[in-house]
Amino acid sequence: MTLIKFSGLKPAVTLIGGIGILVAALGLALVVGETQIPFKTIWNVLKVEAGFFAPEVNPIDHGILWSYRLPRAIIAMACGASLALSGVVLQALLRNPLADPYILGLSAGASTGAVAVAILGFGAGALSLSGGAFIGALLAFGFVALLARLAQGNASGATSSLALLLAGVAGAQLFHALTALIIAKSADANQARGIMFWMMGNLSGSRWPDVYLAVPIAMLGSTVIYAHSRALDAMTFGREAAQSMGIRTNLMMVILITTTAILTAVMVSMTGAIGFVGLVVPHAVRFLVGVRHFLLIPATALAGGVFLIVADIIARILIPGQSLPIGVVTALVGAPAFAVILVRSSRAHSG
Amino acid sequence: MEHLRVKYMSIVLAIAAINPVTAVAQSYPVTLDNCGHEVTFEKAPASAVTIGQAATEAMYLLGLSEKVKGTAVWFTQVLPEYKEANAQIERLADNTPSFEAVVNKRPGLVASQYEWYVGPKGSVGTREQFHDIGIPTYIWPADCVGKDNSVGVDGTREELISTEVIYRGLTELSQIFGIEEAGEKAVTDLKAREAAAIQRAKALDLKDVSALFWFSSAKMDADPYVAGAKGAPGFIMKQLGIRNVIESSEEWPTVGWETIAKANPTYIVLADLQRRKFPADAVDVKMEFLKNDPVASQMDAVKDGRVLILDAHAMDATIRTISGLELMADAMEKEAAKK
Repeated sequence: MTLIKFSGLKPAVTLIGGIGILVAALGLALVVGETQIPFKTIWNVLKVEAGFFAPEVNPIDHGILWSYRLPRAIIAMACGASLALSGVVLQALLRNPLADPYILGLSAGASTGAVAVAILGFGAGALSLSGGAFIGALLAFGFVALLARLAQGNASGATSSLALLLAGVAGAQLFHALTALIIAKSADANQARGIMFWMMGNLSGSRWPDVYLAVPIAMLGSTVIYAHSRALDAMTFGREAAQSMGIRTNLMMVILITTTAILTAVMVSMTGAIGFVGLVVPHAVRFLVGVRHFLLIPATALAGGVFLIVADIIARILIPGQSLPIGVVTALVGAPAFAVILVRSSRAHSG
Repeated sequence: MEHLRVKYMSIVLAIAAINPVTAVAQSYPVTLDNCGHEVTFEKAPASAVTIGQAATEAMYLLGLSEKVKGTAVWFTQVLPEYKEANAQIERLADNTPSFEAVVNKRPGLVASQYEWYVGPKGSVGTREQFHDIGIPTYIWPADCVGKDNSVGVDGTREELISTEVIYRGLTELSQIFGIEEAGEKAVTDLKAREAAAIQRAKALDLKDVSALFWFSSAKMDADPYVAGAKGAPGFIMKQLGIRNVIESSEEWPTVGWETIAKANPTYIVLADLQRRKFPADAVDVKMEFLKNDPVASQMDAVKDGRVLILDAHAMDATIRTISGLELMADAMEKEAAKK
């Protein structure tokens, strides 16, 4: 079986290879864009920014490379890594292969928050669309967590996977309905526009200040998740098994689910709900490196980052002179990829 | 023969004197081909409800404000010259009105600016829904002549729009209400203004002038919605010999700042919107972005202060489009005077 062959690779080789691919993807994102900028210009800009002497570059080219393309690629990387990691964690904790970062109602809440700010004028100008989306996402998560807890009852003090999943469905529906209600209040000829942004995702607004927020959050979240890799391994054998290994499962669930919620809320508030990354990448990486979280977590982070950088490059160049929502590209690539994984894994199980 | 004609004229004048609205007696029924529908009027409608500001202001321009029983969909404030008349008329909704709110006015005609509201997938209703209960409909022709509303977010233009569709809308409305003379006068006035602006711009003989019309953005730093090649802004630019840096045929395509900055247009025209749906709807927010963004601020138009502001409604094919032509011609004259 291919799985054994790949997991036979030395972890160090896999990771170094992964980092190499990530750097290459970042480089590609600098080179490829809506317009053409010669290699020489790119090289000169990098030299100037690194503090070396280089011939002067047209300020517009310089700005496009340094203020548009580079932060955009870094955001894509941070966002892809965060979403993919959240997917890994939720799939393990909820023991459900269909779990993804949005299963807890976060993306629905983010759209509600964004339209509430934009259309209803919440926050009276002090709150940006991203701020509204972030608050909306957290509110939705809070609602789902509360509902799950009520469904479970206080007796056990635990939040079961099923209660959480069902509460997630209810929360998502509720917040979708709220969004629809707010839009209905102000429907006009280009109503679809602003909502598309949050539903399909869009990286075009990425600038350095976003990077300063997204990268530390992504790193912090990854660290917390990585610190729990042994516990996540144990969870795949079931909650009781994990408890018998001395893991405080309730505390761990709270910490990890909150971490994924914050990671996802930050990313969604910046870029909108980019789909399929959190669902497909974890499965694909499991296929390549096996199910041990010790290796699965860093590999998923790298793969998620690379996937979104490349998807964004495709989104920018597929239609000349016009950019596509990145969610369209991730879904176009993600859906067939997911189908392949599904078929192959079902064969592996039956065989 | 001559005698008959004089007699006929005198009858006409007599009728005109009795009824000031129907200035010229006209042969009904009037049959029009309107956005794929054949609509027939046996007599002038007694009243109307207008959906969309273009339709509303066209009625006002023709002096038909007394016939308008209700209006809906307001993107911006009414033109100052119609403020008083407009204050008398009920506003059914700032945005999309409900079917029943429109019907409840018992209008003799429903005139809509977009098929989006009254059309095959109309958010207010389909044309058949209105026709079934005996209310005729009229769509502002700019929304369907040479335009496919089933493609793209706001429809896609198959050919460059021209002010002819505006004149056609005014003429047809005046025919429906039997006031062809008022229609002719309105069209003649607008045509004269259009020709004057074009002539002024052509006389300057400027070389390689380009422009970008920025409508709004979903999120401040994100890719903006800009005017496509074939809408009213495209027509304004073509008539004045200005190159549009955008080539998409979509009505309002999303184009990246990278593409725009590299194209480096001579002029940037900002849409002045009254609605507040996105932060970038406000002119000063757009202006601030242009000044502070590391790339956009490097564009020549920003550095040399060639950023203009135009009423968003003039960026659609409406009676205000002509003022867009005049604004651009003014800006070009100013630029030429500097040299």
